Amino acid sequence: MLRLLDRLEEVLIATLIAAATLIIFASVAHRYTLGLLADSVAWFRTHEMAGLSAAAKSAYFGVRWINLVWAQELTIILFVWMAKFGAAYGVRTGIHVGIDVLINRMDPPKRRFFILLGLGAGALFTGIIATLGSSFVYHMAQGSAISPDLGLPMWLVYMAIPLGSSLMCFRFLQVAYGFWHTGELPHHDHGHVDGLDTENGVEDAILHSDLSPRDMTDQAKDK
Amino acid sequence: MSALIIFGLLIVLMLTGMPISISLGLTVLTFLFTMTEVPIDTVALKLFTGIEKFEIMAIPFFILAGNFLTHGGVAKRMINFATSMVGHWHGGLGLAGVIACALFAAVSGSSPATVVAIGSVILPAMVAQGFPKQFGAGVITTSGALGILIPPSIVMVMYAVATSGMQVQGPDGNIVDSASVGELFMAGVVPGLMLAGFLAFTTWYRARKFGYPRLAKANLLGRWKAFREAMWGLLLIVVVIGGIYSGIFTPTEAAAMSAVYAFIVAVFVYKDLRLSDVPRILLQSANMSAMLLYIITNAVLFSFLLAHENIPQALGQWMVDAGLNWWVFLIIVNLLLLAAGNFMEPSSIVLIMAPILFPVAVRLGIDPVHFGIMIVVNMEVGMCHPPVGLNLYVASGITKMGITELTVAVWPWLLTMLMFLLLVTYVPWISLALPHALGM
Repeated sequence: MLRLLDRLEEVLIATLIAAATLIIFASVAHRYTLGLLADSVAWFRTHEMAGLSAAAKSAYFGVRWINLVWAQELTIILFVWMAKFGAAYGVRTGIHVGIDVLINRMDPPKRRFFILLGLGAGALFTGIIATLGSSFVYHMAQGSAISPDLGLPMWLVYMAIPLGSSLMCFRFLQVAYGFWHTGELPHHDHGHVDGLDTENGVEDAILHSDLSPRDMTDQAKDK
Repeated sequence: MSALIIFGLLIVLMLTGMPISISLGLTVLTFLFTMTEVPIDTVALKLFTGIEKFEIMAIPFFILAGNFLTHGGVAKRMINFATSMVGHWHGGLGLAGVIACALFAAVSGSSPATVVAIGSVILPAMVAQGFPKQFGAGVITTSGALGILIPPSIVMVMYAVATSGMQVQGPDGNIVDSASVGELFMAGVVPGLMLAGFLAFTTWYRARKFGYPRLAKANLLGRWKAFREAMWGLLLIVVVIGGIYSGIFTPTEAAAMSAVYAFIVAVFVYKDLRLSDVPRILLQSANMSAMLLYIITNAVLFSFLLAHENIPQALGQWMVDAGLNWWVFLIIVNLLLLAAGNFMEPSSIVLIMAPILFPVAVRLGIDPVHFGIMIVVNMEVGMCHPPVGLNLYVASGITKMGITELTVAVWPWLLTMLMFLLLVTYVPWISLALPHALGM
């Protein structure tokens, strides 16, 4: 069940970012095809090639028939959804960085307390936002506001806030629960590069620096 | 008074090690809830409207483009190209390392990834040739930071986003426009090339002094071959800068184009990636972008709170009343940012500090574009020294050197960077010449 949620989350955000890229690409390509066709209509006409001119003209209207004014709005909506669910995914992968200089110098019991406090604060904040967001969306659903270009009901667009924040809150609690039991935190590898032949100790070096919170798994460094 | 409470609360929350985005958000919620009458519902709205600007979408696109090309194969092509061009001069591989870092960093957009990619290929080669380990580590650690100055740069987009839409008055009382992404990108070209030149000079000078090995001069055919290989990656920079400058694309469209271009180059031209790798790259990019967008939303909330409490204006007035010069102000800003660089990474610093400092800077007559470039150069310095210089830790992972030893190894180049920072701070012409010449 949880695994299914994880997978769904990953597929959703990867699809959203890919879709947004393709939409912008299509809309730019569309705009330039239109410009090009319009130019060629004029060019063929001045060079008295009526047949080609007419062909370009019909192509122009054909392309213009595909209306892409909604592209920008849709991209923004896709990205906001990607951002909200991606932020929840980020909690699971440990990418949300904080300032760990101070807590890494504390002895293990204190450090444990502060790490749990940080995760709890994350859950608290996202929980509050999820609640506020829900009531906000609920009030919005009473009205009939729709988005300007796509005509989507605004409450549906704004659903990203309560849904994403709830998921994020859940992820914070999940990480805190895991940490409580195993003393392990997820870590993000900032220096990851594919396609290198040599093994390197980058992941280790970052893990043991002030760039990531020290969890309870390696006590040897505390000495 | 409220300024003290807000910043006190923020610093305390941040020092507990909770994510920076969460500390920002909790500070705002706490303050609004206890001290003001502002309806809390606006917070939820702000969390959405904070990132629904089209310019911000350039960030995920640039990250995606960078991730497609952050690959060992691309790094090797850049190194081959750089080596064939400058390998026969003093400093040989070291000099080539500076150039390769500058190129790879500009394309990949990530400083730590640059240090890893270029470093793990070139450092063993340098050691095998008889360079001391410290020399190579110093070169790569500092040159890897060039990426945030040479466009496309995500930190510059952050600065543009953090200051956009601010109504601020110049010294003569006129409203001054904030810097656009396009202007900042153009403005970054000259300082980026200059800093690469400075770092290369330090490398060259020290290599000549200590008599480090040089390579045989590459022939014209070899150079052409290396260039043709590296060209596809480098064209990404041309697509972005050329596209924005010629007005073909807006910066966000240029970013989306560069992402599609990078995908085609990585999968079909270089064939470093298989199609089955693409979902993983998408997920990585979405993860990184979502983290940055989350900091942005919370930073927007935070600057909304600051503006609501009139803090930037009050600070500006106070500085003007205190008779502060623009050059004293710039020293203070640089010291403040260097200090902040000890605790946070560049995007967070820019998002938190820029909205506060920007109105004051404009009030004192500093050009928004120049101010932005100065902040970016300052951020580069912060990545190369302890305690949280990301490049330093990454380099220590590759070289198996301790942080203290590395810090010593890095100092000639770090000093060069600091001198360059001073130059950029007090010679606005360096940043402004190109955008002005282009009529921006």
